[in-house]
Amino acid sequence: MTATPLLEVRGINKSFGPVQVLRDVDFAIYPGEVTALVGDNGAGKSTLVKCLSGIHPIDSGEYYFDGNPVTVHSPRDAASLGVEIVYQDLALCDNLDVVQNMFLGRERRNGIVLDEVTMEQLASETLTSLSVRTVTSVRQLVASLSGGQRQTVAIAKAVLWNSKVVILDEPTAALGVAQTANVLELLRRLADTGHAVVLISHNMNDVFAVSDRIAAMYLGRMAAQVKATDVTHAQVVELITAGRSGELGLAPSGTESVNGVES
Amino acid sequence: MSGARDSEQGLRTGPSQDEIRRLNLGALLRYVHLRGPTSRAELTTNLGLNRSTIGALTADLAAAGLILEELPRDRGRAGRPSLVVRPEPAAYVFAFTIEADRITAARVGLGGVILDRRDTPRPRGELPPVEVVAPLADAVRAMQRSIPPGARYIGSGAAVSAMVRREDGLVRLAPHVGWVDEPLGETLAKVLGPDRPVTIRNGADLRALAEHTRGAAVGCDNLVYLHGDAGIGGGIIAGGRPMTGHGGYGGEVGHMVVNPAGSPCGCGARGCWETEVGEAALLRAAARDGYGRELVAAVVDAAARGDAVAQNAIRQVGDWLGFGVANLVNIFNPEMVIFGGSLREVYLAAAAQVRSRLNRNGLPACREHVRLRTPLLGDDAALLGAAEVAFEPLLKDPLLP
Repeated sequence: MTATPLLEVRGINKSFGPVQVLRDVDFAIYPGEVTALVGDNGAGKSTLVKCLSGIHPIDSGEYYFDGNPVTVHSPRDAASLGVEIVYQDLALCDNLDVVQNMFLGRERRNGIVLDEVTMEQLASETLTSLSVRTVTSVRQLVASLSGGQRQTVAIAKAVLWNSKVVILDEPTAALGVAQTANVLELLRRLADTGHAVVLISHNMNDVFAVSDRIAAMYLGRMAAQVKATDVTHAQVVELITAGRSGELGLAPSGTESVNGVES
Repeated sequence: MSGARDSEQGLRTGPSQDEIRRLNLGALLRYVHLRGPTSRAELTTNLGLNRSTIGALTADLAAAGLILEELPRDRGRAGRPSLVVRPEPAAYVFAFTIEADRITAARVGLGGVILDRRDTPRPRGELPPVEVVAPLADAVRAMQRSIPPGARYIGSGAAVSAMVRREDGLVRLAPHVGWVDEPLGETLAKVLGPDRPVTIRNGADLRALAEHTRGAAVGCDNLVYLHGDAGIGGGIIAGGRPMTGHGGYGGEVGHMVVNPAGSPCGCGARGCWETEVGEAALLRAAARDGYGRELVAAVVDAAARGDAVAQNAIRQVGDWLGFGVANLVNIFNPEMVIFGGSLREVYLAAAAQVRSRLNRNGLPACREHVRLRTPLLGDDAALLGAAEVAFEPLLKDPLLP
């Protein structure tokens, strides 16, 4: 839909010692869209995302934000660009309430005391703007929330900071059916409010239910990045398992040897 | 109508001062009704009217008790703050929904706020109209007791899963309650008094309208809304207007025949879409007895946990769902297809199947921009849609007596 990607990486390489985890990966994320990042275990999805968020420095490659080349050395750099990640384990503190969690480490102050009123107001405004109805009180302890509610709080936390890119690592993996539906709808709403959303998932239904684009990784390489309206379920599964599907995906030449194994 | 004839003859004079004022009042009221509190400054920009015109219009509407003006709470910027115009919920309508397993009455204020609601669960199956109207009448009386003084009744709207004649609210056919030619409009008018209109519409049409005006499809002028409960209802908005057909019976997508060799449908035909994707089809395929949305959710849940029979059922229904959606996308070229009611759960569980079918059967040009979505308003959509049609006369002419 939009021509210019909000965040784009080109030719990213990343090795951990002798193991090359990412090879010449190109990846683009567009505002107002959900981009699904799929791939088998060990395909490099999490590494790619960690490179985007500055946790892992990249060995080589270019990083563009809003069309401008930038360098990202640390998570702080990524956060200042507006890139937020919601991790699988959510990284919330059980002993704090929803507001305290959302502002953790970035508390608002009024003189020397914390500005609880404003923080509470901002937290509930954020939740309302996402049409979250499952969290009834923002002063509830996170320990008392269900898995789906925690996921919601973690996502709202990412949104609160005027983030432009929200990356979610398997947000529905540990959730029941009803909570999954709520989280998926939340992702969709996030994209509809102009955020660029990246969804890492193994569940094809989740991927097709919300995403506009699908990026499939295969053994450290980007097999294809396609529009969800152009591919079928079976094609995506082929891209994940074989790295190509018909004309899509990696070239089926002799050069494609991974870890010495000809495919 | 006369305006059109005049212009054909080249005799049309400009609209009169009064007409313009009425149009502007309507535009302003509709704006705050749909978008909530708005500052005068924003109204000036968005409605393209003069600042003093906005001032005069808001004064008229405030005098009529339709809006409130107040100072904004947050005054971060320097300068004289622009007054915020908000809809006055003291102007209210009654909205009713008659659904497969419950009957709901609500009092909805201007701005689309549900002020009071009463739900009455009802058993599935045939039900004489009296047993529907009686609880609604009780609910109305109960709600009337708690109405604050000064509130103003505008009219009523009702959403029914049925084919409804537009002019008088005659229910031509409601297969799931067993009604044929039932004068629901007349009956409700007796309950509510004859001085204000009672508008009856098809439930799916109203859900589509509600999602279009304040839900998932705001700003999206071409959409198809699919609602699943006992059957499959469809609401279509084309070019920003509800597409209801000549008599108001259009949009019965549940009864497109997709499988001539399929099972008989309640409407008398065979192989209608709802016999392949409806609740009954899913539950039959999953070998469950009973009916209802909880059971559908249970099948979806079982499929997610690895129950092979449930997974198969979801796949099969998802496939048929995709076929039908592909047909609709080819015919209407919508920007958005919304899956509501029990179809929401089914769609989310079978999204890959639906998308695959759509990608294989939809014409590339028709489907390239289509977005498959779930509703934003949830179960309130029908109520809000019914309220919307009840408010319509007021929004057309805010100063109506």
